[in-house]
Amino acid sequence: MENIALRTQNVAKYFHDPVTMQVLKNINLEVKKGEFVSIVGKSGCGKSTLLYVLSTMDTDYEGTLDINGRKVTGLSLNELAAIRNESIGFVFQFHYLLPDFTCLKNVMIPGLRLGKYAAKEVEERAYEKLKMFGVEDLALKRANRLSGGQQQRVAIARALINDPAIIMGDEPTGNLDSKNTGIVFDLFQRLSKEYNQTLITVTHDEDFAKKSDRIVEMADGEITNHGH
Amino acid sequence: MKIGVNTEIAVTYLSSRKKQTAVAALGVMFGISMFIFMQSLMKGTNDYFEKSSFSSTAHIRLYSENKVADAHMLNNNLKDNSTKILTNPKQLTQSQGVINPYGIIQSIKKNPQVVAVTPQVTAMVIYTSGSVNINGTVAGVSIDEEDKMFDVQTNMVAGDLHDLNRVNNGLLIGKGIADKLSLHVGDNITVRAGTGSPMIMRVIGIFATTIKQIDETKSYANIVQAQNLLGKDRSYVTDIKINLKDYNNAPKVARDLEAITGYKAEDWVQSNEQLKAAFKIRAIILNSVIGVILLVAGFGIYNILNMTIYEKIKEIAILKATGFSGKSVTSIFLQQAIFIGLLGGFIGEVFGFLITFMVSRIYIGAGTLKYLPMSFYMPHYVEALCFGVLTTIAAGYFPARKASKVDPVSIIRG
Repeated sequence: MENIALRTQNVAKYFHDPVTMQVLKNINLEVKKGEFVSIVGKSGCGKSTLLYVLSTMDTDYEGTLDINGRKVTGLSLNELAAIRNESIGFVFQFHYLLPDFTCLKNVMIPGLRLGKYAAKEVEERAYEKLKMFGVEDLALKRANRLSGGQQQRVAIARALINDPAIIMGDEPTGNLDSKNTGIVFDLFQRLSKEYNQTLITVTHDEDFAKKSDRIVEMADGEITNHGH
Repeated sequence: MKIGVNTEIAVTYLSSRKKQTAVAALGVMFGISMFIFMQSLMKGTNDYFEKSSFSSTAHIRLYSENKVADAHMLNNNLKDNSTKILTNPKQLTQSQGVINPYGIIQSIKKNPQVVAVTPQVTAMVIYTSGSVNINGTVAGVSIDEEDKMFDVQTNMVAGDLHDLNRVNNGLLIGKGIADKLSLHVGDNITVRAGTGSPMIMRVIGIFATTIKQIDETKSYANIVQAQNLLGKDRSYVTDIKINLKDYNNAPKVARDLEAITGYKAEDWVQSNEQLKAAFKIRAIILNSVIGVILLVAGFGIYNILNMTIYEKIKEIAILKATGFSGKSVTSIFLQQAIFIGLLGGFIGEVFGFLITFMVSRIYIGAGTLKYLPMSFYMPHYVEALCFGVLTTIAAGYFPARKASKVDPVSIIRG
């Protein structure tokens, strides 16, 4: 039980617009701590939708979701925000930095929000994270001056700032060339092996998926292969 | 610490869109400076009219009212339990004076509210010079105390008011009288009161108030001369004029004095009802103008923040995804509103002061009113800032709440 990072029980989700349609059916997924899981499937199979449910951002679903052994279904939005802040790092399909801030500030903001470390420490940690992705030179540049690939790497650094237990990625390497994809993959693997962080990524990149610990396949809103 | 992040984000948003911030702050600035300007103008005007009403009216005037006979008076003659009925009562003949005025003055002076008390003898007179007669009143006063209470000195156009103490039969006349009778300082004038004999007096000074009616009828004489005019003795006093530390207490003190002395005590509010009405009307006009200005400024802020939220909706989604709660997002946007409010507020304070100062230099030159009366009153500035910030908070609250309700999933998934 303590070994489970994330568990869903009978999760189902419907879209109501324009017509009611079930997008997730009977999802029972368990992810162990330190596991590196890739979710694959065709476009529209519901894999991103599942990821947003797992991320706690989407609360409009049936069934239950446990994170680190705690039931999060039914918690208030503010409590969920606190959980996201502390235990979940998120990398989006598009880079999504705050354009008015420097890269360093972008990485620091979730850390400052958590308030676990003093501003000075958060800054040092942010530099470390940027270094991991080789973008420390860009630290003081405004985010909107960066190329897509650079922004994506900064965004991944941001996801790591609070050392979250779970890192989720929606096509985290979607905007990166093969060299940078390699860097990111190696890093993700290190996070899971060395730091026992759990990674759940949704990807189209088959090579990326193959190299991960486990591939979960989805089709038509159902998990067709748990990859065990 | 946590407040720090929200503030940092709020400030970054504001500083990365300097133009919009400036426009929003400008709206608040105009609101606040107008608030200060209007308040200063109103208070200045009110103070001026109040002061000018006190230049002829004391805070409280104590006088003997003509009484109508009533049955109680029969008790003095028929000291038994019989029922007294008085038919067809008439006004009592009486001296119209205050009995034992100096004793009353002594007792009034004991009231801690009272700062000045002075007796006055008012006489209805006819001024004559050559073949022209005009009606008027002579106020027999102690000119030094009169000056202290009503600042007669500022109204002087010729002569020296202190001559009233030195010249035995001196008379200080209104400018209207001087013009009508073609009198100058040093000229003689015949004054006759209803019951007394005519007296020849000397014009020792001429004064002009802003009120034409006073200038054409009123004159000052030494109290003893006024008593002589009426053929009365030295203890004859028609009015006792009283000034208080705070004229707003006048109605209450007047009631007390009435109870103690038994004479009619009229406070300045009763004798200046129309002034009070004018104050109230002006306050309503002013407050509605200020309300509209602040409303417009508030809508400006509301609009700009609303636009900001549409522009930043993706970023709000990111903040929420990375663990900012709805409360934090509200705080970020509300802080922007407050910052705009404070920025506009402080500039508005300075600007408001400058406008007020410049307008106070506008020359009017009517009567004793030389410049537009403006007051520089600290609480106005405090009020203005409070109102400004409150308006911005109110205007910022709704967009901020909207921002806090942004659903990150629908934005991020597109």
